[in-house]
Amino acid sequence: MEEAKVIIFKSEAEMPTMAASLANTLYNKTGSWRYMRPLYVDKTPPCNDACPAGEDIVGYLGLIRQGRYREGWEFIMQENPFPGVCGRVCPHPCESQCNRTELGEAIAIHVQERFLADWAYERGLRDLKGLKGIPSDPLDPSVPSVAIIGSGPAGLSCAYQLVRKGYSVTVFEAQDKPGGMMRLIPEYRLPREILDHEIAAIESLGVEIRTGVQLGRNLSLDDLKDYQAIFLAVGQSVSRKLGVLGEDAAGVLHGIEFLRRLDQGEKPSLGSRVAVIGGGNTAIDAARSARRLGAEVSILYRRSRHEMPAIYEEIEEALEEGVQIEYLVAPVEVLTEKGKVSGLKCTRMELGEPDESGRRRPIPVVGSEYIIEVDTVIPALGQVADLSFLGKDIKAERERIVIEDSGATTRLPVFAGGDVATGYGTVTHAVGSGKRVALAIDRLLRGETLEGFPPLDRNVHTVPRDMDPTVVGFEDLNLAYFEEEPRPRQARAPAEERVRDFTEVNRGFDEEVAVTEALRCFSCGTCNQCDNCLIFCPDVAVLRNGDERPYVFDYDYCKGCGICFAECPRRAISFEEEIKWKK
Amino acid sequence: MEKVVTGNYAVSWGARLSRAQVIAAYPITPQTSIIELLASFCADGELDARFIKVESEHSAMAACIGASAAGARAFTATSGQGLLLMHELVHWAAGARLPIVMGTVNRAVSPGWSVWTEQNDTLSQRDTGWLQYYCEANQEVLDTVIQAYKVAERILLPVMVVLDAFVLSHTSEAVDIPDQDKVDGFLPPYRPELKLDVNDPHAFGPIVTPEHYMEMRYKMQKAMEEAVSVAQEVDEEFGEVFGRRHGLVEPYRLEGAEVALVTSGTVTSTSREVIDELREQGVKVGLLKVRLFRPFPAVAVRQALAGIPKVAVIDRNISFGHGGIFAQEVKSALYNVDGVHRPPIFGFVAGLGGRDVTPEPIKEVISTTLANDAPPEEILWIGVKK
Repeated sequence: MEEAKVIIFKSEAEMPTMAASLANTLYNKTGSWRYMRPLYVDKTPPCNDACPAGEDIVGYLGLIRQGRYREGWEFIMQENPFPGVCGRVCPHPCESQCNRTELGEAIAIHVQERFLADWAYERGLRDLKGLKGIPSDPLDPSVPSVAIIGSGPAGLSCAYQLVRKGYSVTVFEAQDKPGGMMRLIPEYRLPREILDHEIAAIESLGVEIRTGVQLGRNLSLDDLKDYQAIFLAVGQSVSRKLGVLGEDAAGVLHGIEFLRRLDQGEKPSLGSRVAVIGGGNTAIDAARSARRLGAEVSILYRRSRHEMPAIYEEIEEALEEGVQIEYLVAPVEVLTEKGKVSGLKCTRMELGEPDESGRRRPIPVVGSEYIIEVDTVIPALGQVADLSFLGKDIKAERERIVIEDSGATTRLPVFAGGDVATGYGTVTHAVGSGKRVALAIDRLLRGETLEGFPPLDRNVHTVPRDMDPTVVGFEDLNLAYFEEEPRPRQARAPAEERVRDFTEVNRGFDEEVAVTEALRCFSCGTCNQCDNCLIFCPDVAVLRNGDERPYVFDYDYCKGCGICFAECPRRAISFEEEIKWKK
Repeated sequence: MEKVVTGNYAVSWGARLSRAQVIAAYPITPQTSIIELLASFCADGELDARFIKVESEHSAMAACIGASAAGARAFTATSGQGLLLMHELVHWAAGARLPIVMGTVNRAVSPGWSVWTEQNDTLSQRDTGWLQYYCEANQEVLDTVIQAYKVAERILLPVMVVLDAFVLSHTSEAVDIPDQDKVDGFLPPYRPELKLDVNDPHAFGPIVTPEHYMEMRYKMQKAMEEAVSVAQEVDEEFGEVFGRRHGLVEPYRLEGAEVALVTSGTVTSTSREVIDELREQGVKVGLLKVRLFRPFPAVAVRQALAGIPKVAVIDRNISFGHGGIFAQEVKSALYNVDGVHRPPIFGFVAGLGGRDVTPEPIKEVISTTLANDAPPEEILWIGVKK
């Protein structure tokens, strides 16, 4: 390092042409002028924040962008063993929060997830033993064992995470096949080979699934006392009733019962006119399935389109397929002839003041009753849990098991999760719930505290990325770097072809579309090595030699001008006051 | 290859053939089409340059200064208000001794708002340390851009290549576009001795105390003085390679003239026609075109005007409180030199704000000069509605 030196020139001939120092200036550590400093701090993307399964969405979109599909798939698999299922059926709250919504449409995240899952499926990747964090040694027979009741997404997610941590896991399933509510999703949305593949991958890690065993029927909690922990993930299996006259007549077939019979290969005889009651995803699934059996189908929903909880795209696809939707209508009586459904007496509704769900309460319009002729009525008003197996020491409220943030019930080591405890009703929430309980059971069996879990409406991670919890908003982005670009659509067959059978409707993205779509991602809060900081730094104080991060600041020369912070398109740089005199 | 191009496109072609490496510019009428064509050259991959869109002319010149300091051949273009906004950094570029070339389209200064030609914008940069060439035709524009880089990089001072708004900038003429190989042979890559290098950082533009500042200014003036002969040599060399020369000044039919008309810019080409017509009628009148304005080629001007009884200067500009600027320059070139004949200088101001300077006002200039032994007024206004 050269020291500063003063040169007094004796004549103009000795002087340089330009006003420039002859000596180099490395000795002058201009970083000492700084009072603000930039820091590379990844922040939470809104999609990641919104994912109930705790996926690092921006992380795998970045891997798709680079063509690193296998790593992308593994990235998801760290947090969620069902990317093929969730990529097809998740209501994708991530997309609702996507900052791209403000400039074009949200990134098609669920299709990207499906792309990675299909990529792995097409290559037969089911050996998860190579995944980071998965023990490759055979399980030690003396390790603690955990019983999981229910092989739905919550149960299997929990089993998957526990077996990866080396625990012995046995799953008990009441039905003949594992999968829980995932089995009731119609094949045109979720081909069975995808579901079976992802379940088989979990089993291949050593998870034992015993089917045909139902808690409260041929199994009791006492039978499980040798297990070090128990996870209750029995879901909600009892259909809500219509509560109107005639609903026990032949020809009234509850939505999940209808869907279960379809899954078992039956083709229930529905007649030619079907009325589906409800506005959730089960109602849409039942209606579109009934169309595929040849029936004319009407959905009767007591509120308006705005309040309808079903996934938007599913509603659109149902309408394309000729399903009629009648809004602001509720049944008041199932009409019968000789004990069999002959019609439905309905009433018009209007919306009143908001109820406890925040939606406007539907109120019958006096004198508006009318009759429609139907052969089959399919109520799809949601389900509740059958909690008859619970002892008195496990507390339940409002038909759900009461749990702590860790998933612990009032009787340790019994935990609960998924719909029986949370009632969210989506695969993805159940995956997150199961994972949370797996982390909690691991802590319990290690003798650690169960305190400190995030609230139940927040997500948890098995392999958290180092990032600040601050969620990046649209206003945090530097919009000079982004343009409005359209969202690609999945290919799908014309509606008149679709209703002929149960072939999968949506075809996903091919590689080219997936990469293009990944490029559209803002990469909120997540450095993707765009080089802007490197290019803009007027002091060449950004160096490209970080081991853990792509760049490091050379604080010897960073003057704290903040240009890197301003020019970072995605807020992956923080800028803070540096109070040196307090050091 | 011969192409019909506007004066602005001739500037763009000149920059392209000179292989400018960094182009930073901000649009302003009547310059915009210069950088539009350059932007498309860059976009189409025909010119391997970094085109930097900036938010003002001040930033455009700042970017050129950075690029040039880092050793790149830098180019920009501007006009009128844009040039005035750039002014602080116009000084900087020269003081930093950076061989930037700027296409400058003369535009009258506002208010009143004007987009038409007048030289006050460039002439108010007279004392910044930039060389200034004033061009008459599109071929000359293209050739001058190429010459400008060669001169600039030898003496380390920046150059403005100036052309009139619309009369030249938007007028199409047939222009010979020389082969790139030929230009490459004439103009080798710029290789500065000292440049911005992050691996060997030096302080550029640091504080210079009274101890040394004056010497730096002295060296700039010496470079300007040297620039006259360098510009002359470069023009001669250009002539050898391309078969065309433009001179620092150009005498036209001055032999035996009673009146020498001194012009710059497009007024020159119109004046040539007038001189030809009057000579045919037996009027003894000739023309001196001033192409290089800074440094002022005083020796060449003195030689050209030697023995001519009267001189009439047409200025498309005015220094308020004094008069036409070219007239002042010509006067001062003749003063303080022993044995030099000093004819009366008639200073005419014409064509401000883009008013056309057609053959009629030029004839009026000549007849007024012929009719008077001495200028009847210090400033002789042509065409003012009184």
